[in-house]
Amino acid sequence: MVYNNLLIFLSGTLLISTIVLVIKREFSGWIQAYRYQTIVLTIITVVIGYITNNWEIYVAATITFSLKALIVPRLLIKVTENISYDFKNETKPYLSIRTLLVGSAILVALSYFSTQQIRLGDDVIAMSFLPVSISLLLIGLLVMVGRKVTLNQIVGLLILENGLFLFVLSLTHGISLIIEIGIFIDILVGIVISSILIHRIGYTFDDINDVNQSHENLEYTEELD
Amino acid sequence: MVNSLIKILPESSVIMCIVLTPLLGCCLVTLLQKKRLLEIISVVSSTFILFLTFILFLYVVEFKKITLFNEFFYIDSLSMIVLLLISFVSFVSSIYSINYMGKQFEDGIVDDRHLVRYYQGFNIFIFTMLLVPTINNTGLMWVAVEATTLISVLLIMIYVKEDAIRSAWKYLIIATVGLSFALIGTVFFYYANISDQMEPAQSVEDKINWTSMLENSRAFDPIIVKIAFIFIIIGYGTKAGIAPMHTWLPDAHSESPTPISAMLSGVLLNCALYGILRFYLISSGSIGAEFSDNLLIIFGLMSVGIASFSILFQKDMKRMLAYSSVEHIGIVTLAFGFGGLIGIYGAILHMINHALVKPLMFFASGKISQKYETKAMIKIRGIVTNMPITGIVFLIGGLAIVGLPPFNIFLSKFMILYSGFSSDNILASMVLIILLAIVFIGFIRNLIMMSFGKPKTPIKNGELGILSVVAMVMLVAFVVILGIYIPEPLDILINDAANIFKQV
Repeated sequence: MVYNNLLIFLSGTLLISTIVLVIKREFSGWIQAYRYQTIVLTIITVVIGYITNNWEIYVAATITFSLKALIVPRLLIKVTENISYDFKNETKPYLSIRTLLVGSAILVALSYFSTQQIRLGDDVIAMSFLPVSISLLLIGLLVMVGRKVTLNQIVGLLILENGLFLFVLSLTHGISLIIEIGIFIDILVGIVISSILIHRIGYTFDDINDVNQSHENLEYTEELD
Repeated sequence: MVNSLIKILPESSVIMCIVLTPLLGCCLVTLLQKKRLLEIISVVSSTFILFLTFILFLYVVEFKKITLFNEFFYIDSLSMIVLLLISFVSFVSSIYSINYMGKQFEDGIVDDRHLVRYYQGFNIFIFTMLLVPTINNTGLMWVAVEATTLISVLLIMIYVKEDAIRSAWKYLIIATVGLSFALIGTVFFYYANISDQMEPAQSVEDKINWTSMLENSRAFDPIIVKIAFIFIIIGYGTKAGIAPMHTWLPDAHSESPTPISAMLSGVLLNCALYGILRFYLISSGSIGAEFSDNLLIIFGLMSVGIASFSILFQKDMKRMLAYSSVEHIGIVTLAFGFGGLIGIYGAILHMINHALVKPLMFFASGKISQKYETKAMIKIRGIVTNMPITGIVFLIGGLAIVGLPPFNIFLSKFMILYSGFSSDNILASMVLIILLAIVFIGFIRNLIMMSFGKPKTPIKNGELGILSVVAMVMLVAFVVILGIYIPEPLDILINDAANIFKQV
């Protein structure tokens, strides 16, 4: 296969960029890392489009780049401008960065192992990118569980969504364009809504722990009469 | 009669009007920002949708299935049931909204801007829900379900309170992650459809359609189908509130404005369940019903179990109702797992019954919490003496929801248990009976305590508004009628829907 080396190189690059995203602590740092990951994803999309010779995939690549590498990072930077340091930066995550890193490595191995069980035929694209996309999904979930700061759950969500995009692309080589546009619109609206929420969290809650704690109102305690 | 009606109103225009009316309503709401006009527009548009859905209902009973635009819209008996529920519940909710949001407006909890946003969201929410059962394309169906999540998050965020923000965030994150799994499942099914054993994968537009998948389901790779169905049940199950993925549900349902709680609980859960059922049909067609049946039984039983103990120890009225939704969705899931003609009939009837009773309960509880200015059940006493009509309606709803005989849920629960015992699922059915008894104890205790007795602080007697009473009485009428008599067209529709399950 002519493209084999290129595909393996690209999937490796994507995994490395994901790991970089996992180990970042500061909000601004991971936004930068997310931008790099999306650029790698765009290159992969273009290559898949070139191999399968499908113009719809080029459109998807353009949308991915403009939406996830340009609009979403800017939006997130803008809404978090006025939010205090504690809300943005991970000082005491549930899982330490070291644990996250080891966990991610295990998940990558697991996803390569589990995708071997599916018969894919001799489809080069699916064989090289399906395991990567599954590991992106799993790493995204791990990051969401591991982060304590509510805001940073978005990091996990964005990794997960990139994984989802790659999964759909590698398995189906471009589902029809109307569905992809629908998915993109959903993602965009989701990010906009979550940034409104972040904005509100920023000025409604005094303390970061308020967001995570379950509420125990005095209202429900029984009065003695 | 139907044949002459279809000449005056062709099915294509009926479907297009149903789908486009809420969009038009949203545009009008945005343009005319007067409080009175907003209310009138919403009621008129939902009445119009209800009227057209009723006509479509007659067509579907007559012709079994209706397709439009080269099967882009595909409506059979199963989707018709969900459509009927959506249009009816949104109709009563729009009437109730006038009263409820009007009261919130008078109390100064919401202002003009919030009200406009509420009615815009209300119309778009109806639009996205209407798309779910009508679209044949499973990918676009996923997009529509995801859109319902986003728009309902916006509706929960109407109140700028800490609790509302917290639950909106939780709902957004959990439902989005869950639905990602549903997309993975959908893509796996699509992959199974496009990958023939010999040829390499080729993308074909129509192959993502549900009808095409069902047609080719026998040739699917069994391993992929199994993986895909697990992803689907986790994914759409998150949205349907099946335990253990239900954790967002009590928060979201208790924090949203009451008319929205009623719609979330009454129909949105059914929309998500509809997604599971569509793929259940494909997977049963491919690998036989046993695998998917077992999964549905396990998840259903787990939902009923978790919900029953949560109801027993609940202190908040709306949270109790939310957990009761988890319980009922669990029962429906379980019933589809039991299978058999009576089981499926009972499950579909239960979907309808739950969609009638739960809005009734939410409406009543909304009025009660506005009157007593609290949601804590410990502080609410003597509803029947303070607000006679609401109190009696609340009592009827409560008795119906635990499944007492003269009301509708008794009938469907009886059918479900009957099919459970007659289909070799003795253990599951026995556990279900025990759990239902626990729910009964928890629910009835709170219901009796709230309905009777003397209020701790003296409260002025009297109802709050005539329109809310109108909405509730309409629902009560259906609850009582469906308990003793199922109208013939509805009976035919449910039978047709049950036959869809029998064919595969």
